[in-house]
Amino acid sequence: MPMSKGFANHRLTLLSLGVVACFMAVGVRLVYLQVVDRDELLRFVDKARRQIVIEHARRGAILDARGNLLATSRSELTVAVDAWALADFLAAEKNPARRARKTAEEQAKRITLAALLGLPLAEVEKAFIPGLRPIKPEADKRDGKVDGLTKDRWVKLREGISEATYDRIEALNVRGLTAERVYRRVYPGNELAAHLLGFVNKEGAAAAGVESKFDLYLKGEDGWIESEKDGARREMAQFRSREVPVQDGHDVVLTIDSVVQHMIENELRGIGAKYQPKFATIIVSDPMSGRILGMANYPSFNLNEYNKAPLDVQRNRAITDQIEPGSVFKIVAAGAALDQGLVTPLTGFDCSNPLVNYKGRDLKLPKEDHDFGRLTVAEIVSHSSNRGAAQLAMLMGEQRFYDYAQKFGFGQRTGFQLGGEERGMLASPKHWDGLTITRMPMGHAVAATPLQMHMAMSAVANGGVLLRPQIIQEIRDAEGKVTQTFGPERVGQVLKPSTSALLAQLLHGVVGPEGTGAGFDVPGFEIAAKTGTTQKIIDGRYVTTHHVGSFVGFFPASRPEVVLTVIVDDARVPGGSNYGRAVAAPVFHRLAEQLVQYLDIKPVQPATRNLLAMTGGAR
Amino acid sequence: MKPPPANANINRLIVLSLLLLVFSGTLGLGAVWVRQEISAIANRSRALEAQIADVERGLDEINVLVAEAVNPDALLRQNEVMRLGLVSPQEAQVRRVDGSPELRLATKRNREIFNLATAAVGDHAPEFRIVTASLR
Repeated sequence: MPMSKGFANHRLTLLSLGVVACFMAVGVRLVYLQVVDRDELLRFVDKARRQIVIEHARRGAILDARGNLLATSRSELTVAVDAWALADFLAAEKNPARRARKTAEEQAKRITLAALLGLPLAEVEKAFIPGLRPIKPEADKRDGKVDGLTKDRWVKLREGISEATYDRIEALNVRGLTAERVYRRVYPGNELAAHLLGFVNKEGAAAAGVESKFDLYLKGEDGWIESEKDGARREMAQFRSREVPVQDGHDVVLTIDSVVQHMIENELRGIGAKYQPKFATIIVSDPMSGRILGMANYPSFNLNEYNKAPLDVQRNRAITDQIEPGSVFKIVAAGAALDQGLVTPLTGFDCSNPLVNYKGRDLKLPKEDHDFGRLTVAEIVSHSSNRGAAQLAMLMGEQRFYDYAQKFGFGQRTGFQLGGEERGMLASPKHWDGLTITRMPMGHAVAATPLQMHMAMSAVANGGVLLRPQIIQEIRDAEGKVTQTFGPERVGQVLKPSTSALLAQLLHGVVGPEGTGAGFDVPGFEIAAKTGTTQKIIDGRYVTTHHVGSFVGFFPASRPEVVLTVIVDDARVPGGSNYGRAVAAPVFHRLAEQLVQYLDIKPVQPATRNLLAMTGGAR
Repeated sequence: MKPPPANANINRLIVLSLLLLVFSGTLGLGAVWVRQEISAIANRSRALEAQIADVERGLDEINVLVAEAVNPDALLRQNEVMRLGLVSPQEAQVRRVDGSPELRLATKRNREIFNLATAAVGDHAPEFRIVTASLR
C-alpha cells in the first residue's frame, strides 16, 4: 500500500528531531564535561594519568692518560617483592585446580630465584607472604580502612644485582617480583689511585678527589618527560607533552698512567709490609710539563669498599701532610748561591768548625753525621753537609735565602687541581731567631708537603722553572669530543737554566761513590737526587729514633724525563736507622729501573751528557 | 519548468546530510587512524629508546669487565695463574739500536742469506728469500 505524503513527512520530521535531539544531548554532555565539571575532571585525570618521568644522567667516567677506565658507572638492580600482587593474581583464578597448579609453578620459580639471588629459599619464601606495614593514620586511606596499616608492596630481597643476573631473573617471570635500577660507581682498579680519584657514596654524593672537585663536569644533568600513563602504569608515549633531554656527564681524563701508578703502589705496599711506617708517599711526574704520572700514599684503601676505610686512611697525604723537608731543602741553599754567582761548584768551605761568625756574632752550626773537613759546594751537596749548607745560606743573607725558598714554592700552595692541599710553613726573616739561618738550610724550621718538595726538585730538573702540578689532562663530553684541555702552567723562574743544569750535575754526585746515595745510581741514566732524613718532633723535642726519610730526584740528570719522590714517615727499622738512604733510596732505585723500561727512557751517552749539561738540559 | 516537489528537497537534504555524515565519519576515522599511528610510532620509538638504553647499559657493563681484566693487578695475577713467567726487562737485557729496527732486522736477515749463499756455492744453487716491503 502506497505511503501517504503527509505520513512520510511526519516520519522524516520525527527522525530529524530525533537526530537533532541526540546531537543536542551529546552537546549538553560535552558542555557538562568540558565546562561544568572541567576542573574536577582535570584534577582526576592529572592525578590518575599524568606522570613526570625523570631520566637520570649517566655520570661521566674518569680515565688515565692512556684511556684506561679508572672510574665508571654501572647499572645495578635492587630486587623486591610485592607479595600482594601474587596473592591478587592467584585469587583471580576461580578454578581451584588451576589455582593450585599456578601456585605450584610460582613456588618452583622461587627455588630458581633464590639460587640466582644467592639467598636461602626460606628468606625468599618469607618475602612472598603478604604482609602489612604501619603507616601514619592520617595518610591511611589506601585500603579503605583507617587502622594505621597498609599493604606492604615493597619487601627488598637483594640489592646490587647485575644486569646479566637480572636478565635471567626476569626470564623466570616470577609474579610479584619488582626491581629498581640504580647507577653505582665502580672503580675497576680497586685501590688504584684511590687518593686521587675519591669516591661517590651510596647516596650519590661525590666525597673526595677528582670525583668531588670535578663533580660539576662528571654528574651531567638529569632529564625529564611529562607524559601520561595507562592503567598498567606504562607510559603512553603519544601523550608526551614536554621533554627535557638528559645530558650525560663529561669524562675527565687524568695525566696519570695506570701502569706507573700501579708500580708505585706496589712499592708502597712493599714499604708498608717491610717498615710499617706512619705513612709513605711516592710521586712521579714529567718535569717539563708538570704532569703527574703517578701519586700514591700508604696506607691506602679500596675505593669499592670506601666505607670500610677510616677517614685517616682516605687522606691524600702527598698534599695534606706537612713534614720538615730535611736535607732535600739543601737544593735551595746550593741552587740560590750558585744562581747568585756567589760560589762555584769548586768553592770551598770549612765544615769542621762548629762555630762561625755571622754579622759579628758567633753562631753555633748544626751537627754533622760525619766529620768533614773542607768541602767544596759540590761535596756539600753530595755529602749533604749541614754546616756547608748553613754557610751557603749565610753567604746570601736571610732575605735572599728566604726569597729563593719562596721562589722554589715553599710556604705556598702548589695549585694542585684537586685542592685540599696545605700551604706548608715558611716564616719570613723577621720571625726568625738567631739560629734559623743555620738550621733552615738543612730543612729544619720549615714545613712542606711532599708535593711541594717534589715540585721544587722538578724546577731544578726542567731548567729552573717552577710549574703548577697537572693532574687533569682534558675533559671530554659524552660523545668523546674534547671540550677543555689543561696545559703546563708556569708559576715562575726559580733558577737560571745554566744554574739548574749545574745543580743537576751536583745532585748526580749524590749517587756517586762518596755521596749519601752511593750505590743507587742506574748506570747510563744519571740519577740526580737528594737524600733527606729529618728527626721527628715528639713532645716538642727532636728525637733520634723517629725519622722521616726521603729521596727526591730525577733522571737522567742532563736530560731529565722523570722526577721521582719517595718519602717514608717513621719507618720501623731495627736499630732505628730509618734514614732516607736506607728506606727511601732503594725504592727510588727500583722504581727508576722500572720506569726507564716502561717509559722507554734512552740512556745518556757521555758526549751527549756534556753537551746537554752545557745547554742547561733544555729540550 | 515545473518546480521540484517539496519532498525532493527533503530527500536532497537527507542525502546531503548522509554525505556530510559519511564525510565527517571518514574524517573522524582518519583522525582516529592517524592518532593510532602516532601512538604506535611513539610507543615503537619508546621501545627503541629503551633498547638503546639497554645496549648502552650492556656496553657499560662490558667496559667495566674489560677495565677489570686489564687492570695491572689482574694482569699480574693472570701471569701467575697461567704460569707465563712474564717479567719486565732489565736494562742489561736491552740492546738499544739507532735508526729503524725493522731495517736492521731486514739487513741482518739478508746478511744471513747471502752468507749462506756464499758458503753454498759449488754444491747447489743458493736459496734466496724475498724481503718484503713490510720489513723495510
